[in-house]
Amino acid sequence: MATLAPGVQTGPYHAVLDHIHPEPTSFIRKYIFSIDHKIIGIQYMITGAVFFIISGLLAEIIRTQLLTPNGLLVRPDTYNSIYSMHGSSMVWFVVIPLLTGAFGNFVMPLQIGARDVAFPWLNLVAFWIFPVAGVILFSSFLVGAPDAGWTEYPPISLMGPPGTNLWCIAVFMIGISSTMTGINFLVTILKMRAPGMTLTRMPLFVWAQFATTPLSFIATTALGGALAALFIERVFGVPFYDPKRGGSPLLWQHMFWFYSHPAVYIMIIPGFGIISEVLPTFARKPIFGYKMIAFSSVAIALLSFSVWAHHMFTSGMVPWLQLPFMIITMLIAIPTGVKIFSWMATLWGGAIRWKTPALYAAGFIITFTYGGLTGFFLAAVPLDYHEHGTYFVVAHLHYVLYGGSIMSLFAGAYYWWPKMSGRMYNETLGRIQFWMVFIGFNCTFTPLHWLGLLGMPRRVPNYDPSYQFWNVFASVSSYVMALGTLLFFYILVDSFRNGKKAGPNPWGARTLEWMIASPPPYYNFKKIPAVLAAPYDFGNPLPYIGLDAADGAVEATPTHSSHPVPTH
Amino acid sequence: MAVSVAKQGYHLGHHDEHDANHDEVIYRETRDMRLTGFVLFLGTDVVLFSAFIFAYVYLRTSIAPVWPPMVDGHQLPRLDTAFAAVNSVVLFGSGVTMHYALEAWKHALKRRFNLFMALTILLGAGFLGGQAYEYAHARIGGWSGNTFGASFFTLTGMHGLHVFIGVWFLIALWIQTSRGVYDDHRFFGLTAGTLYWHFVDVIWVVLFFLFYLW
Amino acid sequence: MESLAGIEKIVALVGAVVVGVFAVISLKGEWNKTGLDDHVTKLLLGLMAFGCILVLLAAFGILPRGGGA
Repeated sequence: MATLAPGVQTGPYHAVLDHIHPEPTSFIRKYIFSIDHKIIGIQYMITGAVFFIISGLLAEIIRTQLLTPNGLLVRPDTYNSIYSMHGSSMVWFVVIPLLTGAFGNFVMPLQIGARDVAFPWLNLVAFWIFPVAGVILFSSFLVGAPDAGWTEYPPISLMGPPGTNLWCIAVFMIGISSTMTGINFLVTILKMRAPGMTLTRMPLFVWAQFATTPLSFIATTALGGALAALFIERVFGVPFYDPKRGGSPLLWQHMFWFYSHPAVYIMIIPGFGIISEVLPTFARKPIFGYKMIAFSSVAIALLSFSVWAHHMFTSGMVPWLQLPFMIITMLIAIPTGVKIFSWMATLWGGAIRWKTPALYAAGFIITFTYGGLTGFFLAAVPLDYHEHGTYFVVAHLHYVLYGGSIMSLFAGAYYWWPKMSGRMYNETLGRIQFWMVFIGFNCTFTPLHWLGLLGMPRRVPNYDPSYQFWNVFASVSSYVMALGTLLFFYILVDSFRNGKKAGPNPWGARTLEWMIASPPPYYNFKKIPAVLAAPYDFGNPLPYIGLDAADGAVEATPTHSSHPVPTH
Repeated sequence: MAVSVAKQGYHLGHHDEHDANHDEVIYRETRDMRLTGFVLFLGTDVVLFSAFIFAYVYLRTSIAPVWPPMVDGHQLPRLDTAFAAVNSVVLFGSGVTMHYALEAWKHALKRRFNLFMALTILLGAGFLGGQAYEYAHARIGGWSGNTFGASFFTLTGMHGLHVFIGVWFLIALWIQTSRGVYDDHRFFGLTAGTLYWHFVDVIWVVLFFLFYLW
Repeated sequence: MESLAGIEKIVALVGAVVVGVFAVISLKGEWNKTGLDDHVTKLLLGLMAFGCILVLLAAFGILPRGGGA
């Protein structure tokens, strides 16, 4: 290494980091089968967006069906397939790939000052499994799509149509992809950080990805086992789950939720990371409680492995297990609450600029806290007996998955769009888009809470006429939300055509990805910078030395800059 | 992967280029990353086996009224422990020979390496043969007959598949060594192969206990 | 059948002792190494030695509790 300022700890891996491999020239190697983490991230984003639109359409079919008590649009069996596919696709083919594959790939290596992930070829393979698995999943519509809900509980899933086999294959494949990405990211974060970037100098988004990786490769593999067993039971008649043949449907529930509860946190911890990046940038304040936010992600990840059976309180599992699962589930509220309070304290007294990412971050705090509170209701065994299998659960999970994960995805998309494309988006349209989604979302899902408390069961294509008013209200609101989502894609297209040049650092942020040109060059950093401190100390000089002006970070000559000034 | 990237690459780095140790440093760093990734991969494989082991334990202890389960009013027989014990020794023995093969490679003892490598592959193939014999003689109703057969054939089948892949992995490594891919300083493939082989042995320790001794 | 099982038990017994001893020797040789691969190897060799003990228990008929088939 070149001479660093005294006191800079050099990271152990700079020799590899310092090497730049030549950019491929052919279109296919550059944009289709690329090993560049930025291209792969954008590929994930485009693929995930396509699946998001398809799954969103399925959701609108569900809401349209529920406009009238007897079901408006589709036959009951088709309805079963539609909500099953909506859930499966949203969980495995939208939220998880977007939060880890897309943002993790694009942003994380930039934030740690690396030129790529540890295993670029593995990354390429992991990505290409994703669209193939998605096509397999949706092709199940041709042979009869799975109809037992996204959880596919046996024995119903054992009797399900042939598409259930394709469902098993597709989810198994995406699990393999997720496992590869998890291992890749963990090694990248452990081994490829820039010199001086100790663990407690990592940006919080990196911490979030770091906490998510073990969930991706441990929990997902366990699900792989459960799926393989379901597949061989369906195809070869090998008894695991069929109670008539000595199997147990509860076995599936245990194995499925041992994965799927941690998966809930795969779907939210990276979102926490995005919010932790957005808030200090737009509040122009250091993040409050850096270590608390970082460590609470890890605490949540660890706890998440020991709470799965709270999905099974009404399943007939042994009663003495209910109490410990209830208590541990409630314990997760502590690290989550730590984060919420840290974010609010970050906003407190800040000079907040209400750009669209900041609006989404604030919206996230509101809706996610609300979803967390109803989660507390569901964790309580006696209340769960009443609410289980009703629309209260549907409302809760959409508050955490849409109000949490998707809101954070929107926040991240607006926040890093200038870095990805090099262009600004239309701020006015962005704000309109936020309010459409935020209002549409809350008006869709808030009424479902009381419909659930009144006893409206989930996954049923018709309902008692007394529930109609709020169902119509929810459906109409969901159309507003859908229009908002379409507007989002219009904004991106518009920005790509007409957007102003963003420059390297339009938000005046302080993490490493903003120190280089937008979009970043193929090799990311001409020189790998050295890191002197955590990135959030607004008001202090930037904690980086050795950045090259040729990287495009002209306004932030690293050695003697004050804190960066937002240009937009 | 990363090695070849580094070797192809030119660099715009700001340290003194191409000193004698530079290549060595890059090798050590990439080896370290690949080793970490490989160990994590083995960890995921442990989880995969654990999922099926959980299924077996759960079905045996929480669902089945007696074990081995009843089929058509008759209790199924236990598996043949004595034969499996011999087969286990064969597999564990291949683990030891693999360890000695790697040690021989580290000390540049080519002939010794070849000997132990051949022994390892033979013992591994022998274990597979033993498994085939075991499958032909297990009177527990086949793969899809009952939960005993389901757990036994799924788990040992998965393990057998791992051994099968492992045998070919070792053969491929052996061919690579004869082509001079590795020297006595740089042999990550052999390290990975050895770890994989030990891992396969250890999974068998657990399966042997669960199916034959419990 | 009974005598065949007896031969198998003797083979297993001898084999387990031999393999177990070599496993322990290998483990001792690895003991002071500190790389990640060395740590994993130690763990795996240790478990393999434990596997040899299990085989011994089977050869002596101590496990399974109901006696072998």
